[in-house]
Amino acid sequence: MATNVQNKVNAKSREAFKKKNRKNWLVILGFMAPALLFYGVYVVYAIGMTFYYSLFDWNGIDSNMVFIGLQNYFEVIRDGVFWQASGNNALLIAASLLTQLPLGLIMALLLFSPIKGMRLFRTVYFMPFLMSTVAIGILFIYIFDANYGLVNQFLGAVGLESLQRGWLGNEDTAIWAVIITICWQFAPFYMILFRAAIVGISEDLYEAADIDGASAWRKFSGITLPLLRPIIITSAILSVIGALKYFDLIYVMTGGGPNNSTELMATYMYDQTFTNFSMGYGSTISSMMFIIAFIVTLGIITVDNKRKADF
Amino acid sequence: MNYKFSMAAILPAFLIFAAGCQPANPESPDGEEASSGENSGSGGENSIEVWHIETGAGEEVLQDAAERFEEQEGVAVNLKQYQNDPYKQQISTSMGGNAAPDVFHSWGGGWLENFVDADQVVNITDDVESDRFLEAGLGTVTFDEEIYGVPMGLDLVPVWYNKEIFDEYGLEEPETYDELLDIVDTLNENDVIPFALANQTQWPGAFYLMYLAEREGGEDLFADAFSREGSFDDEAYIEAGEKIQELVDENAFPDGINGSDYDTGQSRQLMYSGDAAMEIMTSGAMLKNVDDEMPEFKENLDYFMFPEIEGGEGAQNHLVGGVSPAFSVSEQSDNKEAAIDFLNFISEQETATNFANESGAVSPVEGAEYEDEYIKRLSETLNEADFVQTYYDQTLPPALAEVHLDTTQALFGGSITPEEAAEEMEQAAEEELE
Repeated sequence: MATNVQNKVNAKSREAFKKKNRKNWLVILGFMAPALLFYGVYVVYAIGMTFYYSLFDWNGIDSNMVFIGLQNYFEVIRDGVFWQASGNNALLIAASLLTQLPLGLIMALLLFSPIKGMRLFRTVYFMPFLMSTVAIGILFIYIFDANYGLVNQFLGAVGLESLQRGWLGNEDTAIWAVIITICWQFAPFYMILFRAAIVGISEDLYEAADIDGASAWRKFSGITLPLLRPIIITSAILSVIGALKYFDLIYVMTGGGPNNSTELMATYMYDQTFTNFSMGYGSTISSMMFIIAFIVTLGIITVDNKRKADF
Repeated sequence: MNYKFSMAAILPAFLIFAAGCQPANPESPDGEEASSGENSGSGGENSIEVWHIETGAGEEVLQDAAERFEEQEGVAVNLKQYQNDPYKQQISTSMGGNAAPDVFHSWGGGWLENFVDADQVVNITDDVESDRFLEAGLGTVTFDEEIYGVPMGLDLVPVWYNKEIFDEYGLEEPETYDELLDIVDTLNENDVIPFALANQTQWPGAFYLMYLAEREGGEDLFADAFSREGSFDDEAYIEAGEKIQELVDENAFPDGINGSDYDTGQSRQLMYSGDAAMEIMTSGAMLKNVDDEMPEFKENLDYFMFPEIEGGEGAQNHLVGGVSPAFSVSEQSDNKEAAIDFLNFISEQETATNFANESGAVSPVEGAEYEDEYIKRLSETLNEADFVQTYYDQTLPPALAEVHLDTTQALFGGSITPEEAAEEMEQAAEEELE
């Protein structure tokens, strides 16, 4: 009903608006040009070239590019390592959503509780996110070291020698060791997002709840959590996409090994492109990443929009 | 609607952008240096650009040589240093993007051959005096009898050991593999880790495979498989794989070898602390690191060559070794003449000798004089050697080298049987080698 009224108003103003719009067209474009240029060159053009290269058998260094159509795509679909890598990406997505977000939220809530030395905690909590990824990688290589590592020393000290192992060297544990490190690094990022959002919630609501005699849990579940919903959705999207394109810590800590057990799509793409000199095949993996990410993002946004419509 | 579309388009777009369909540099340790490589291309009229990966003393020798060359020839030498692994990415993107330097580092072998096949490397057969070099060095930069580079250092791979530990338990340098196994037993009984190994980067474990396979199948084993007269599923390769897994089963290595990183010192630490007794490692890496990190350890450091297997076809004086670095001239160079002059200049006696003494590698130039005791001895070892096996991973084409490293690492991890490893390797060889 509301849209009907709106449509009438729109129809009247549309023409005038169009005229004005045309006049402003050049000005608008002028303002957009710098960003558009960067976006065009580094994103649109790059994606286009990736798809283009993925149709060739090419090593990336010589001028001899052999057009092979979609053959690279048939190969990637039959490539066990690629699917193992995608599986690891899926695992990382699940772990990111289930640990980084709740952990970030808990830390953000803790920062609002009346504890002494809050400023210190705030800094300490945020520290992992400020460290260079390479430094974190090397730090955790030492922490997970089989002989002198913190983890094994601790297990030894509390009498759990049977659990000691080479965490990064074991095909079953390596992926978990890396995932723990990634979560440790990124939880503070979500903490900051949540904290900012909580600050934005009006005090009045809590006061009203206090007057009604609401418990702390009731206040959290009835006020804080529903109002955090948009930021949770945003964080989830960021987290999923971050997990899909993840590269650095794996590259530093395990290089995708042992025996491809920690390979992610991005590290596998890097290996193929720059170690094995298969630019064409590497581009195919990039394209697959794009397609997967596109579908996932579209999915999240659709679900979110539906939810908004229901709201 | 608009919002939906733009979000759907932008998010994956950023994703792919960041994920690196472009040669965007991931957060690599040398981000700064790498980014300056952009647009650098080759040097101008009176300068040449040289990309290298030397660090510490090796870098100083190179700098010194560059300064002397500049003085003598009036050509400025612009040295650019890269980190080992990011370098491989930088050089291949720069070659593909027509922005290659004049002179570039390589490890010879299959890696360099890739660029040679792509017509990116200058043939310098007529410009170098080939008889000044040791055959073992020049061989790694020679393809179809044509020379494409100049070797500067020759790394040998002995078994390093801690003399103090050997003395304590009355152990002697082994001549047969069985004697080596006895040593492993004795050390295990005394709670000493027999071999330090950090195999995350995969090449340190490959030494075991190369030695065991050579000792089983003899010096022609690899060359035959490589030329397709033989094969990579030869009985000797399966035997070598079995012996690796035997060593793992007998606790010859510390825990978690496939996850510990040589570059962060996780195997050397065990040697320095006396927790481990032996390590198979290149002379360059071992000597340079000990010099930098714990010079006093040299008192206890000694080496022997990998022992013979009874009934096997190999011999103890057959070495595994390789070239690092070799330098080549890019076809894209605007200043090829000066670049070739520079190659000849750095392989002259003075620079070659300096480099060998500082880098822990034997000089591939005939008649270099050594100050370092170990290198002097290693050069004698090399002179007595009947055969030098170059590293598989540098000799094979990169895709096959990757299979070799992956399967070998999996052998150590016990996630593959020796038969499967050999079969996988042979299958890949059939595809990659024609």
